[in-house]
Amino acid sequence: MDWTLTTNAPGKIVLMQGNEAIVRGAVESGIHFAASYPGSPSSQILGMLGKIAKERNFYAQWATNEIAAFQACLGTSFAGARSICIVKQNGLLCIADALFCAAQHGIKGGVVVVTSDDPSAHSSTNEFDSRHMALSASIPMLEPTNMQEAKDMVPYAFEISERTKQVVIIRLTTRVCHGRGSVALGQIPETQRKLDVVDEWDRMVCVSFRHQVMLDTLEAARELFEESPYNHYSGPEHPEKLIVAGGTGCLYTKEALHLLGDPADVGLLELGTVWPLPEKLLLDKLRTAKEVLAVEEVDPFLEDELLRLAGREGLDLKIWGRNEGTINRVGELDPDHVLPAVSAFTGLPMPPRQKTSDVPLLTRDLNFCAGCPHRATFFVLKQAMRREKVPGIVVGDIGCYYMAGSEAGQYGWQVNNCMGSGINVAEGLGQLSAYGMDQPVVTMCGDSTFFHTVLPGLCNASYHNSNMLLIVLDNSATAMTGFQPHPGTGLTAMGDEVKPMSIRAICEAMNCTVEEADPFEIEETTALLNDMLHRPGLKVLIMKQPCATLMAKSRKEKVTVWVDQDKCLGDNCGCDRFCSRVWGCPGNSWDFKAGKAVIDPVSCVGCGVCAKLCPQGAIQVKKEARA
Amino acid sequence: MLSTYALDTQVLKKDLCTSCGACQGMCPYWGSWNGRTVWLFDCDRKDGRCQAFCPRMPYDREALRGRFFDAADVDPDIGPCKGLYLVRSADPADRDGAQHGGTVTALLKLALAEGLIDAAVLNHMNGDDPEGFLATSAEDIMACRGSSFRIAPTLAKLNEALKADEYKKIAVVGTACKTLATYKMLAKPYPDRDNNADNIGLVIGLFCGWGLDWDGLKELAAKYVPLDEIAHMDIPPSKYHSLVIRAKDGREVSVDLDEVTPLVRLACKACDDMTAEFADISVGSGRSADGWDVDKGWNELIVRSEKGAKLLQLAREKGVLEFKDMPEGGLDKLKRAAAGKRSKAVRE
Repeated sequence: MDWTLTTNAPGKIVLMQGNEAIVRGAVESGIHFAASYPGSPSSQILGMLGKIAKERNFYAQWATNEIAAFQACLGTSFAGARSICIVKQNGLLCIADALFCAAQHGIKGGVVVVTSDDPSAHSSTNEFDSRHMALSASIPMLEPTNMQEAKDMVPYAFEISERTKQVVIIRLTTRVCHGRGSVALGQIPETQRKLDVVDEWDRMVCVSFRHQVMLDTLEAARELFEESPYNHYSGPEHPEKLIVAGGTGCLYTKEALHLLGDPADVGLLELGTVWPLPEKLLLDKLRTAKEVLAVEEVDPFLEDELLRLAGREGLDLKIWGRNEGTINRVGELDPDHVLPAVSAFTGLPMPPRQKTSDVPLLTRDLNFCAGCPHRATFFVLKQAMRREKVPGIVVGDIGCYYMAGSEAGQYGWQVNNCMGSGINVAEGLGQLSAYGMDQPVVTMCGDSTFFHTVLPGLCNASYHNSNMLLIVLDNSATAMTGFQPHPGTGLTAMGDEVKPMSIRAICEAMNCTVEEADPFEIEETTALLNDMLHRPGLKVLIMKQPCATLMAKSRKEKVTVWVDQDKCLGDNCGCDRFCSRVWGCPGNSWDFKAGKAVIDPVSCVGCGVCAKLCPQGAIQVKKEARA
Repeated sequence: MLSTYALDTQVLKKDLCTSCGACQGMCPYWGSWNGRTVWLFDCDRKDGRCQAFCPRMPYDREALRGRFFDAADVDPDIGPCKGLYLVRSADPADRDGAQHGGTVTALLKLALAEGLIDAAVLNHMNGDDPEGFLATSAEDIMACRGSSFRIAPTLAKLNEALKADEYKKIAVVGTACKTLATYKMLAKPYPDRDNNADNIGLVIGLFCGWGLDWDGLKELAAKYVPLDEIAHMDIPPSKYHSLVIRAKDGREVSVDLDEVTPLVRLACKACDDMTAEFADISVGSGRSADGWDVDKGWNELIVRSEKGAKLLQLAREKGVLEFKDMPEGGLDKLKRAAAGKRSKAVRE
């Protein structure tokens, strides 16, 4: 593990990724407990915490889901522990009930939730702005602009949390998580704070009469935020034009102002305290301003709050932003969007731009990795569904197999809600078979998703005997986010080996009809799938084949796959480039010189499935013991 | 339009596919499951042979006929006809287990023995269901006697055999949809991708009223005689209005045709060719004007081409077939039946 996370060298400046900065901040805060369920872009945080947990004497856990993670943090808080819970935007929504209740019962030891929003949904299915959660739950929220703030805000959040007895959320966005910047390290406490003895009469309970307490707590936080060192103002004392920015918006605005010649008459207020807003600080500048531009990620949260403030105070302000339309309403901020907005706002002309090339960048569709068992599963599923006399309905879920909804998975599913939803959506459809719907219903989940949220749905579907099939894509990994362990793997975040849970045994205990199959055995598995579709009640088919990345790492033998171009008929075959075009594995490529198929030896991991599919038998597989 | 889409929208979705298998066996995009043609994946060709060979895709009947048959032989009801005969195999072993008189079995064995063909694409039973089979010996041919009353994707097997290019004179036996597809192959719409169509050596057509939906037949079987116990099925002349199922133990069950008709494939109801007009020889059941029992166990046979005439002549010389005089009115009766199917198909 990188020494920068655990070495006590106050003042030393190091290059850090935002996610690392959060880890360092947690270590400097002397946390006792950390828990998370992986979700991009903040998946790495708990992975790193898990690796240093033993050295720093705290506990770190990859929890089965976000609710388990957050509520465990609340538990440790009751004994005075400092705990940190890391989630992505969807995970924050997942813990909504717990969060709203926690806001009302308050906490004892500091509880910090780090949430990562994913503007443009680079590794998500949707854009979401977690500031709405802070607002509606009445929970204080901070948002760092750079890596230094990402680190520094963790101890600051614990301080606010413990002073207000309230959970504090730190909002990150993708670029803060994954970007790198210089960070001056702080002091790491020698030992953690001693835990409290929980008294017989100590309470942490969500009851309605604490509603007022919660609101008072929020006002107390607002007072603290009025003086927060994470709100900065630069510009004239009484600006007519004011830019209010948060998070990455601050950096893009600074860059834009610089490119526009650093205009002296424009004020820039950088807000690190997102909720509750420091109204006095804001009003101090708003009262003299005539125009305000809000620069922020995802939703026009600040913009709307500025409108609200202006309305309440009767200020005559023109407010620019994402709602007003100067900045793109949907998608991530970047200099290409912020610079024209700031130029329009300030009335300063756009600087000339140098065009580097007229050649457009290549676009690439999302695809499964070479050798990915999901490709085979969805190939099998498509074949099986096409065989059915009446078309079936396929319900998707969240994981790598989300990509199966596109070409990579033969456009494999038709419905997709959120993580763990597939079983429930399919359960409903499956009940319709008694009411005139005569179509097979199939859904799927990965092994990690199975434990995350599918279990309660499976209980429900099995108990009510829904007529449907659940395919569990058991690749022995939480592959999408980087191979974090889950209850089926027998490993923990801290590297301990524990007894793994059997998905098959769980399903059987739930009275499901269970079969296991190897998706690489295309013919047999397709036949089994067709057969299962016609069995009554709830069926579970576990597709067992490890994630290609794991498989390639652990395999004992060396496998070479190549195309015998004497056998490949090229475009005369009638297969219409089946291997590279339909099967679509990155390992299957086209030799344009020879006009024949070819294997890309760099991508190919040697699963050998394409050899079974080639109608000419031109793809050869050779296995030999590794030297 | 892409060929796969063309077939899907114009044939499959309209229930016009008989699942003859002509589109299959050449590529990974078409398959078959439980008697249904299955479009598996999207091909991006617009000139697929699947589309060109499909008997249910539009074609110019006169032009295709003109390339292979003598215009003077063409009868409006039963197609090219050089002669109509009433025949059966001279070998009782052929007749045993045959649908009618074992004529096709006898002709194929003769053609194979004389080197006129080196293989034949037929149907045999795989468990409960018929499937295409490449027969290369007299024993193989014998194993394929009888009718399954279902259309199997036999031509998928033909396409595979042609592609493999191992046998150079392959006989094809099939109902009208299959033999038409075979002539579409012989016409070589894409000469540079002809899938070795010249390896087709002989085409024997089978008279066909219709084929049953596979699930439909299973429904019938569940009600009357289990599928694996059915020895024979036949439709007696129309006045009986029934389907007769004979079980292996000899008992016969007569099923009202009204019960059977709904199980007939729409694709077959829309077919206008009872006698398989595209063939060297077409064979069906003997249907005497004097009654159902008179010619039971005999085949009517239409010779359509020179090749067919030569084979029949050889059969006569070698004593492989027994001949019976065609009764008075036999041709008219056949013509009426064929015309009846044609007019019904037009109404469908």
